[in-house]
Amino acid sequence: MTMPQIHVEPAQRDEYVPGEPVFEIRDLSVAYGDNVAIRDVGIDVYENSVTAFIGPSGCGKSTFIRCFNRMNDLIPNATVAGDVRYHGTDLYASGVDPVEVRRRIGMVFQKPNPFPKSIYDNIAFGPRVLGLKGDLDDRVERALQRAALWDEAKDRLKDSALGLSGGQQQRLCIARCLAVEPDVILMDEPASALDPISTTRIEDLMHELKRDYTIVIVTHNMQQAARVADMTAFFSVEVSPDGKRTGILVEYDRTAKIFTTPADKRTEDYVTGRFG
Amino acid sequence: MRISFQEELDQLEASLREEGELVLRSLRAAVEAVCTQDVELADEVIAFDDDVDEQYFKVAQGVELLLARQTPVASDLRLVLALLHDNLHLERMGDLCVTIAKLTKLTKGLPPDDALLEGFKEMGERAEQMIHVAISSLEERDQEAAESLLELDELIDRANRRVVKLLLDLGGDAEMREWGLRMILVSRCLERIGDHAVDVGEQTAYLVSGEFREFTDASH
Repeated sequence: MTMPQIHVEPAQRDEYVPGEPVFEIRDLSVAYGDNVAIRDVGIDVYENSVTAFIGPSGCGKSTFIRCFNRMNDLIPNATVAGDVRYHGTDLYASGVDPVEVRRRIGMVFQKPNPFPKSIYDNIAFGPRVLGLKGDLDDRVERALQRAALWDEAKDRLKDSALGLSGGQQQRLCIARCLAVEPDVILMDEPASALDPISTTRIEDLMHELKRDYTIVIVTHNMQQAARVADMTAFFSVEVSPDGKRTGILVEYDRTAKIFTTPADKRTEDYVTGRFG
Repeated sequence: MRISFQEELDQLEASLREEGELVLRSLRAAVEAVCTQDVELADEVIAFDDDVDEQYFKVAQGVELLLARQTPVASDLRLVLALLHDNLHLERMGDLCVTIAKLTKLTKGLPPDDALLEGFKEMGERAEQMIHVAISSLEERDQEAAESLLELDELIDRANRRVVKLLLDLGGDAEMREWGLRMILVSRCLERIGDHAVDVGEQTAYLVSGEFREFTDASH
């Protein structure tokens, strides 16, 4: 089998033009014990862009995104092999502080998970713990504004975050992530638990945020990837003769290409809904 | 597998093929009417265009509904877009047949030229063949056959030029001249039908290859 391309062909017409790579990932494999979850994945993720990972359940896209900020470190018997370079630095080198990694590379999860505290304290928590300088009230306001939640939250900052709607809670989690001044935001199915209106707001937000941040998103919703992403990676599952399932990268290209003229038949079958 | 979606796509393609069959019937009748100066048949061609238009709307509505409900992508999207374009090309062919029928009525009683009518028969047959190739190449997803339409178009263009030359040689008789002027338009209509068939072929090539390009750079 030929490996999917890592580098992207030069842009034609009005196509998306990739910027500098933020992540350069090569030959990345992750195993949980004896089970290889993903094998030999290599892609570049570009600055100020939205990169989407799509694929059927069990294709390893969540496992893959968790390598971007060493979240797999928290899973017992997970082993990561290969190269994850962030602005040229090996994220898995000894001496790299995972806490600092996760400050720069924030993450938002499928289910909004605010702390059972006030809206204000949810945002202020990270800056306080990290001892970030500057006016805390300013920081909270800026984070809420960037996450498009300020207008709805400004008069109830002392109220419990748990009183917010699901969509608001998810934007709060994004604001919490922004408050510690990250460079990259990872989102693992950020809208799959939200209603269509809230989903649209999150998608609009991604569009806004990519001006200042690099965004990586895992999504089950292919139309969401088509709408928000500049680059899309399609993952699939390979089943070995003894029944073991391993995630592989099938195709990585501009989103427009993936959804109009994908190079690989498996991608075509997936995006057109003929498989998975 | 999205079963109902695939069925809708198949149904849409079948509707377009039906439209193609209607256009073929219209073309045969229009050419027959002009060659035999059959005004009644010309009226039938004009009335029959409502059937073509009805089929056109059916395909157009099907495309609209499919886009709204199924958000097709990749080759499905290309197929839907190709059907949208092809639908318009077929409808235009139908309109050109109506124009031929109207010109037939306008020239009733004027003296025809047999050599010219032979030329129209040839052009009509070539146009018919081109529509067949256009429709079957879409059905078979056959890019090579679609591209062969360009050569067939060259033949119909040549026939058109021969007809025009014959018309210029018709002489100075007033009635003959009027007939000739109208017949230049008939020749032009048949030639345009060939062009639309080439356009349908271009859509097939786009569907198969994912890349849109005109078969010729100059307008044909």
